[in-house]
Amino acid sequence: MDSKIDFKNPKYYENRELSWIKFDERVLSEARDKNIPLLERLKFISITSSNLDEFFMVRVASLKDMVHANYKKRDIAGMTATEQLTAINEATRELVNTQYSTYMRSLIPLLNKEGIYLLDAHEDLTEEQGKFVDRYFEESVYPVLTPMAVDASRPFPLIRNKTLNIAALLTGKQSEGETVFATVQVPSVLPRLVQIPTEDGSTCFILLEQIIERNISVLFSNYNVLCAYPYRVMRNADLTIDEDEASDLLKEIQNKLKMRQWGEVIRLEIEDMADKKLLKFLKTELKVADEDIFRIAGPIDLTFLMKVYGIEGYDHLRYKPYTPQRVPEIAPEDNIFDAIRRGDIFLHHPYETFDPVVDFIRQASKDPDVLAIKQTLYRVSGNSPIISSLAQAAENGKQVTVLVELKARFDEEHNIVWAKKLEQAGCHVIYGLVGLKTHSKIALVVRREEDGIRRYVHLGTGNYNDSTAKLYTDCGIFTCKESIGEDATAVFNMLSGYSEPLSWNELILAPYWLRDKFIKLIDREKKHAKNGGEARIIAKMNSLCDPGIIEALYEASAAGVKIDLIVRGICCLRVGIPGVSENITVRSIVGNFLEHSRIFYFWNDGDTEIYMGSADWMPRNLDRRVEIIFPVLETSLKEKALHILEVELADNMKARVLGADGKYEKLDRRGKVAVNSQEQFCEEAKEEVPKQDAMTGRRVFVPAEPAE
Amino acid sequence: MAIHSYAAIYIGTYDVSLKVFEFSERKRPREVDHIRSRLDLGREAFGKGSIGYELVDALCDTLAQFKQIMLGYRVEHYEVYASAVLRGLSNELFILNQIFIRTGLSVKVLSNSEHRFISYKAVAGRDSFEKMIQTSAAVVDVGGASMQITIFREGRLITTQHIEAGTLRIRNLLGDRGHSLKLYETQIEEYMNKKLDPFRAMYMTGPVDYVILISDYGTELIRKIEKNGADEKLVKSEKFIRFIDKLQKKTLEEITSELNLPNDREPLIVPSIILFKTLVENIAPKEVWVPGFGIQDGMAFDYAYRNKLLKMAHDFDADVISAAEFLSEHYNSYSPHIEALRTLSTKIYDTLNKIHGLGKRQRLLLETATILHDCGKYVSLADGPDSAYQIIMSSEIIGLTHLEREIVAMTVLYNTRPLDPYEDVSEKLDQDSYLIVAKLSAILRVANALDQSHRQKFKNIRIAVKNRELVITVEAFEDISLEQALFENKTAYFESIYSMKPILRQKRVFLREM
Repeated sequence: MDSKIDFKNPKYYENRELSWIKFDERVLSEARDKNIPLLERLKFISITSSNLDEFFMVRVASLKDMVHANYKKRDIAGMTATEQLTAINEATRELVNTQYSTYMRSLIPLLNKEGIYLLDAHEDLTEEQGKFVDRYFEESVYPVLTPMAVDASRPFPLIRNKTLNIAALLTGKQSEGETVFATVQVPSVLPRLVQIPTEDGSTCFILLEQIIERNISVLFSNYNVLCAYPYRVMRNADLTIDEDEASDLLKEIQNKLKMRQWGEVIRLEIEDMADKKLLKFLKTELKVADEDIFRIAGPIDLTFLMKVYGIEGYDHLRYKPYTPQRVPEIAPEDNIFDAIRRGDIFLHHPYETFDPVVDFIRQASKDPDVLAIKQTLYRVSGNSPIISSLAQAAENGKQVTVLVELKARFDEEHNIVWAKKLEQAGCHVIYGLVGLKTHSKIALVVRREEDGIRRYVHLGTGNYNDSTAKLYTDCGIFTCKESIGEDATAVFNMLSGYSEPLSWNELILAPYWLRDKFIKLIDREKKHAKNGGEARIIAKMNSLCDPGIIEALYEASAAGVKIDLIVRGICCLRVGIPGVSENITVRSIVGNFLEHSRIFYFWNDGDTEIYMGSADWMPRNLDRRVEIIFPVLETSLKEKALHILEVELADNMKARVLGADGKYEKLDRRGKVAVNSQEQFCEEAKEEVPKQDAMTGRRVFVPAEPAE
Repeated sequence: MAIHSYAAIYIGTYDVSLKVFEFSERKRPREVDHIRSRLDLGREAFGKGSIGYELVDALCDTLAQFKQIMLGYRVEHYEVYASAVLRGLSNELFILNQIFIRTGLSVKVLSNSEHRFISYKAVAGRDSFEKMIQTSAAVVDVGGASMQITIFREGRLITTQHIEAGTLRIRNLLGDRGHSLKLYETQIEEYMNKKLDPFRAMYMTGPVDYVILISDYGTELIRKIEKNGADEKLVKSEKFIRFIDKLQKKTLEEITSELNLPNDREPLIVPSIILFKTLVENIAPKEVWVPGFGIQDGMAFDYAYRNKLLKMAHDFDADVISAAEFLSEHYNSYSPHIEALRTLSTKIYDTLNKIHGLGKRQRLLLETATILHDCGKYVSLADGPDSAYQIIMSSEIIGLTHLEREIVAMTVLYNTRPLDPYEDVSEKLDQDSYLIVAKLSAILRVANALDQSHRQKFKNIRIAVKNRELVITVEAFEDISLEQALFENKTAYFESIYSMKPILRQKRVFLREM
């Protein structure tokens, strides 16, 4: 072994943005998979699209900021911001091309075959349909439109971030020759997809912008419309709040939300057939560079396909909906605290239902013995039952402390609303910490029982969001172990602004302790390997891009530690580098559910340790967020966690393995039993549910008792 | 027994903290929550002698939050103690009043001896403590303003010494002078060595096996030194010193990050670690134990003992007696005479139980006073009582409050001197304590009268109350005419206090018992 290898060599690392694009490609390839039901494939197209939007708004925007700021530092893979932007531009163009060709050439014909039509040109309408559309325009669309012409007295208007607009060139009916530019926003209050009647009973939709385009002359009655094309701009939206200055974080975020609409234009999408003159005008007014213009061969913004996915009927074109199974340890209607006292409980969503977590808070809010409920909330669903339970608990006189992370990207507006609601109910609401995003997922219930205070804790890898819990794979545990309970109390004391505890029993927190802990765990395996022992790490996460961790992994691999990584998204680590990463495998699972859990397994010379938690191996998770990683202590729970890892490592249906060339490829399945980890977990969860026991099945009449 | 919850709030030099405890049947208090809030009261308190309104405001806010938290736990009983930081401030009274008005919490400001005793109680509540003091151990309690060293040998307390050198005091004295860290550290070392020199010369009569360290940062430090340390954090002293030597080579930022401290520039960490080092170097134990709990744990133990929620593991009264004995020996005053007087005075005390109306605690004070009553002669034969008073008042007797020490010292003083009217001593004693002093010194005087010759002539002393007389019947082989003659004279004082006349009766014994 060459001891002089520089594990920091940029050649050994992949740029994180390019790695992310590869992830979006993997999502897109799901849309290209003929084994997947048609509407599911449509859904993946939509996801690719919304992913890309966010990527531009956050990542590309911040790279642009770096270029503007003349920031010269190179990234982990040795690229400057400009170099990255060039590479990203090339890669995204390719991605978008594949996306549209998949949509236009494969999916649209297949949809048509199934009797579903998505018209993206109003010229294709029948006469009947035309009449219907025109009436719809007149009644519903016209009243909400605000057409704006640009001339000497009327400056170019603000084109809002991510909104779809139609640009048109007009000539005055009186004064021939002079062309005027006009733009109108496709109203976001109306559905993008409009169903129109058909004669043969097939399902037919037209896009809203086409309806407007067809009727555009109505908007500019004094002009002749020369041409009209839809376009969309994307603006720099990375929220960097200057927290030192912000006396009131809440207000600051509200201000930023307004400002977000004004950011620099970083992408312009326009129909590929658009008029040159029109495009030139847009380009100058929006101050957008050539390389940031994307000419789109199809409808702009494919996120509307998510709506198509949900159309009624056509169930045969979708996966059968999966119902999350009940957690075997918790019987319905059971007192959840009794269940937890019987032993730690492992939860694996969405295979198992998220209900116990909701129930945990709900029961606590009503339980007379409960003194306090404390919880961190990052992203919650719109009509969250957890929020109403917390409010209820406060009204019932319990001490409720809620840490609301306002900085959760793109969710701020939403978060502010319910944070206010909680405050009104009497909860103690903490609006995040200055300088740190609180990403940890922890809920604590303090209960006064006969033998004293007992603390019940839920720790998880995913947010307290009952909607996403049906789509994201996440793990969690319930426990009332004193060591963890004490730590949980300390976590909330710390989040409330009190000093940190003198020591932690079990939990490991970022930003102060977590990085060291992971490095130590990896180094310990390295030491075991050097001593000639078996050494192994299995880690599952969403993204891996922390230079320090990757370096430690390289060193461990070089020392002979066998490392298997299951990384859904970004992975800056390269495999198969001689002397550096030959012992490392990386696979990514992109399936029907979004892989979201983080599980870390260390062989530790036979005394295995398994951790789970909210943190990825990313600098932002380890250094700039409050994260919690917790050990899985009970043997039976450890087995469950390990089982998840083992099945995912055996997955040969949805897993793609990273090669030394940096490409992700599906495995050769010849001669092997097909394993689809997500499907297997679904089946296992169903089998685990205890058969209905005699008690609940028995039929008895229960005599009512008089109320006291 | 049902669960009993108790909260201890402590206003320290640089933080305010709350601990919530639960007591159940005969078990150690269980800590349910521990909340610390940083508040640098010390800077103003020790710098200006008063605390400004901004800090008082912050203090009240924190205390109000603590009260909310206590309510959340449905805590039944709580106590709020303040350290030296509030003691003797020019606006102490106003601050306490403000706290009460704004939060409803009444704060008790601890005297030094109470403070030390409480933290000592926390340590003494542990099993390993009893084991360590069986050989020899020094309990070192390092505070912001001063430190206290208590030495145990073979299970007995030998001495408690108060040394005016605390972490904050050292920082104020030597820090912030624009010196380099290296120089600062050397200065502290030198200063501390000088401070500890006389202590070592006087009281380090033999090797000490253990140093039991009670201090802030102690736990953080020991955790780094002994990574695999279980609950009981014990380290070899060489290792302890080596680690601090290594720390000393680092910058302040590196030290704080090494120890995982919350602040980048913890002002007291450097004085603390150097102080620890010099202590361990000077006492030279085999091992250092950092029990790792604070004053609140002591408050909880203290509360539990007082309310009979917990049986005392350690006999604190024995500490007092033992400390008094060693003090007495130290001043060459311990003798058979004192042994005899201890028996006599306690016997009289017990006989008078119904008459003096005092309790067990006062009996301990009487015994302590008896042991110490002759120590002044070491300084001055002529002015024995006054010297004894001074000696007692300037010695630490762990387990006695400041007031109790005053009572002991005055009891000794009025053993020979006529009792001053209350007005003259009202600065030192409240009326109840004045009465106690009078009652105890009267008993001591009677006892003394019975052994005027210091030769323990009496045997089989029987004491009984008959009507309005205290009848003391003694058997004596020798001639007791000296005692008889002086008895009347010495007991007038007793008569005036108890309205009861002591009578000495002799049963002459002609055969000396062998």
